[in-house]
Amino acid sequence: MTSKIKDFPGTPLSEEDFATGKVLFHHDQLRGEFAWDSGIAIGRYLAALKEGYLLGARCASCRKIVVPPRIVCEWCFRPMEEFVPLQDTGKVNTFSLCYVTWDMQRIKEPEIPAVIEIDGASPLHGILHKLGEVDPQKVHIGMRVKAVWCPPQERSGAITDILYFKPVEEA
Amino acid sequence: MSLLERDFNAPHAWHGDLPVTSRYTYGLAGERFFRAIKDEGRIFGTHCPRCNRTYVPATSFCERCLGELTEWVDVGTSGQVYSYTLLYENYDGSPRKEPEVVVFIRFADGGFIHLLREVPIEAVEFGMTVQAVFKPQVERIGSISDILYFKPLA
Repeated sequence: MTSKIKDFPGTPLSEEDFATGKVLFHHDQLRGEFAWDSGIAIGRYLAALKEGYLLGARCASCRKIVVPPRIVCEWCFRPMEEFVPLQDTGKVNTFSLCYVTWDMQRIKEPEIPAVIEIDGASPLHGILHKLGEVDPQKVHIGMRVKAVWCPPQERSGAITDILYFKPVEEA
Repeated sequence: MSLLERDFNAPHAWHGDLPVTSRYTYGLAGERFFRAIKDEGRIFGTHCPRCNRTYVPATSFCERCLGELTEWVDVGTSGQVYSYTLLYENYDGSPRKEPEVVVFIRFADGGFIHLLREVPIEAVEFGMTVQAVFKPQVERIGSISDILYFKPLA
């Protein structure tokens, strides 16, 4: 569609125009600091990550175990009464080989974001994380993986306390 | 432990910082308006012959008849105090002894907000004529702060 348009209306600007002072401009930087209240369930989830395990929540009514934990069941809307520790293993539900970083830099070795179904949670329940120590071409759906954790003293109560998930030999 | 009880050892909040930066270009009329301030130390407006109004800062179209404005007029560097307020607090919230006088200055049928200095606060009054004090030409960058402040017309 746009290939048919020869002349775009308006005044196109390039980075050079700013650098050489062709146009006047005002540069501004907003203070975008924020604090997001982690709430009851995610607060405990983060605390558990610091301890070195994954925490889920179990719904007594529909018996689902979800991860990350939440305080209301998304299926039956009842309160979730119980927090349960889960395994730090699971299997790849879906993944992507990503050759572009978040700030649009091209990379040779791909980042591999993946949704991992966590063992102990209900089927198809898992978290988004990334894979490491793996040949990108060998990643497949259903692959068994295990979390690689930060050393305990370096953990901060964040999802990055798990560095990545790596494949485990299937027993 | 009941369900709605918080674990006070758990993290309470997730802290973050959004890297938000912006670059605002002034547009066709704004570019010419600020160029004139930067290069010549002059303040321009645009005149609408249909509505007989002169807009300051200069705009590229008339907000009343929406017609294009091509008639640029130099409105001089002095205007009249239309309204003012005394600020006894700094931008960071700290108190200040001598207030900063913030004024709306009328030029033709428009005007803009700026600072008023070199005047005792008792002497500030509506309608007084004030003139712009510019930065030296080499220091100007094409911004409203190229005008340092306004002072009473000598």
